[in-house]
Amino acid sequence: MKEFAQAPCTLIFDKFVRVYFSCRPQPDENGQYVSYSAYVDLKRSDLSEIINVAQNPILELGELGTFDEFGTYPISVIRKGKEVLAYYGGWTRCESVPFTVAIGAAVSRNGGKSFTKLGKGPILSSNVYDPFVLSGPKIRRFGDRWYLWYVAGTKWLANSGKPEAVYRIRMAFSDDELNWTRDGRNSIESRIDENECQASPDVFFYKSRYHMFFCYKYALDFRNNERGYRIGYAVSDDMVHWHRDDAQAGIEISTEGWDDQSIAYPHVFELDSTVYMLYLGNQVGRFGFGLAKLEEYRP
Amino acid sequence: MKWKKLGRIFDPIDYKLANNCVEYAQSPQALVFDDFVRIYFSTRERDRTGKYLSHVSYVEMSKDFRETFNISTRTVIELGGLGCFDEHGIFPFNILRYKDRVLAYTTGWNRRVSVSVDASIGLAISNDGGLTFQRIGEGPVLSASLHEPFLVGDAFVVPCADAYHMWYIHGTNWSRFTNDEPPDRVYKIAHATSNDGISWQREGRQIIVDKLGLDECQALPSVIFLNGQYHMFFCYRQPDGFRECRDRGYRIGYAFSEDLKNWIRNDAEVGIDVAEDGWDSEMLCYPCVFRCDDKVCLLYNGNEFGRSGFGIAELEDPKIKSTSSNIYSHIKRDL
Repeated sequence: MKEFAQAPCTLIFDKFVRVYFSCRPQPDENGQYVSYSAYVDLKRSDLSEIINVAQNPILELGELGTFDEFGTYPISVIRKGKEVLAYYGGWTRCESVPFTVAIGAAVSRNGGKSFTKLGKGPILSSNVYDPFVLSGPKIRRFGDRWYLWYVAGTKWLANSGKPEAVYRIRMAFSDDELNWTRDGRNSIESRIDENECQASPDVFFYKSRYHMFFCYKYALDFRNNERGYRIGYAVSDDMVHWHRDDAQAGIEISTEGWDDQSIAYPHVFELDSTVYMLYLGNQVGRFGFGLAKLEEYRP
Repeated sequence: MKWKKLGRIFDPIDYKLANNCVEYAQSPQALVFDDFVRIYFSTRERDRTGKYLSHVSYVEMSKDFRETFNISTRTVIELGGLGCFDEHGIFPFNILRYKDRVLAYTTGWNRRVSVSVDASIGLAISNDGGLTFQRIGEGPVLSASLHEPFLVGDAFVVPCADAYHMWYIHGTNWSRFTNDEPPDRVYKIAHATSNDGISWQREGRQIIVDKLGLDECQALPSVIFLNGQYHMFFCYRQPDGFRECRDRGYRIGYAFSEDLKNWIRNDAEVGIDVAEDGWDSEMLCYPCVFRCDDKVCLLYNGNEFGRSGFGIAELEDPKIKSTSSNIYSHIKRDL
């Protein structure tokens, strides 16, 4: 692995916090990347101290012709008894559009060090409601039900032969973590324009309400400029109806440094009575991820 | 069973087809009217890169299949837009009439990079008696799942009393059987049911046992109820060498079932085989069994996967004919 540490998510242990992320080896001769997921363990009492780094990817790429042949990214994990479940975006390459993504599932029985796929195929793939890319899963459990927030492609823009996807945040729910119900409803209304792209729907229950941090950007011409990702925010009492209020996100790009152009892929977690946010900076994690601490919350 | 071949009834080279299509009339499937039969098939256009796009077309024939009245001159169903599951072709096109509607389960194709294609099953509805169709959404109704990882296609749907039943195929592996050839795919026949025709519950198992080993390819199941049993016709072949080698190419297989759950394969009973010479001498594929008045008919393709059209055969078995009036006694398919 060489560059990128994308889409962080955490699993908390007694002595450390395991942060999963996705990274890439050098691109191939055509400049194309594959993407793997791995982790780093941060000392629980001092998250700035790295105590361990995964030596191998936690998931293998899929075999010839499968949905995750060219990437397993991003990944979201959750504990279920002694197991750790993972949901991830599996990438393959297409001819008319550059790629498509479907959501896969895997299980770990060694505390999240490595995962075995539940099958060769995806657990969520395109259907009548979700015709295109399905990616960015975030698995949660509230009460007796499993929830999966994800990113659904709503169209491909032709963009003079360099197609770009438009995608929105949606939610699926399940009683058994295997069979998912979807309705094709967008969770978060668009703000910047009709082709706003939304990703990383990170839902967090805090002080009796559901909070979602996510990121959003313009669909076209968004690389290396001010049209790239920003972190957005919405709040809900029922997980279905969300009130978007990006002004309340409370985090912006820096004036200079690794996160002075864009910030993306937020993941919020509570640890020992403090709420933290992990996030990516410029070029969607090419230079790693950063950590922020919640200073103030006013409902 | 014994089938009497009536010969080739449609050769696409004899007609001007819509969408700049030339040659190929694959997977013929019939919609029977009072005084004619409309046969849908997939034909091919070459795109700018020289690759094929499959388009649906139809031909209308007399009920003895000797006369052609009409051929579609318009687009029957548009291919999907950029990035859609059916962007690069629709083949096959499973036509059915249910109550006052004409529906079609499509197999949509989209091109990939490491392997040639993927496929998913879509649903389209006609509001003009089957002349044109609109898909119910931009996405498929059945696509890859945990244990059916790719190439979901060849739907054949029958609305029964208890539910909609779908027989279909899914890929199990892509393999490089010869080093200098692109990967070839292996696929098997499966079964799903639905209460609304849109949301499907998969049975999750291969329902027809292999005859040619683990890598046998099974395609295009077609089911009919006759004499108190369900009968399935399908095609099967070797996973490689099937394009050029007569003995490895498609043949029509046969299985029967009492309960739609357990199928007993018995290819020896299929009653139809390749000819000594001519258009169907090297392969037989893409069978579609249907009832046309008091006859039971089998549409099928011959050599080169239907490049030179399709033929039809009629069931000769007198025992079956004598009970033909009860064919759909407990299937609510309003044919």
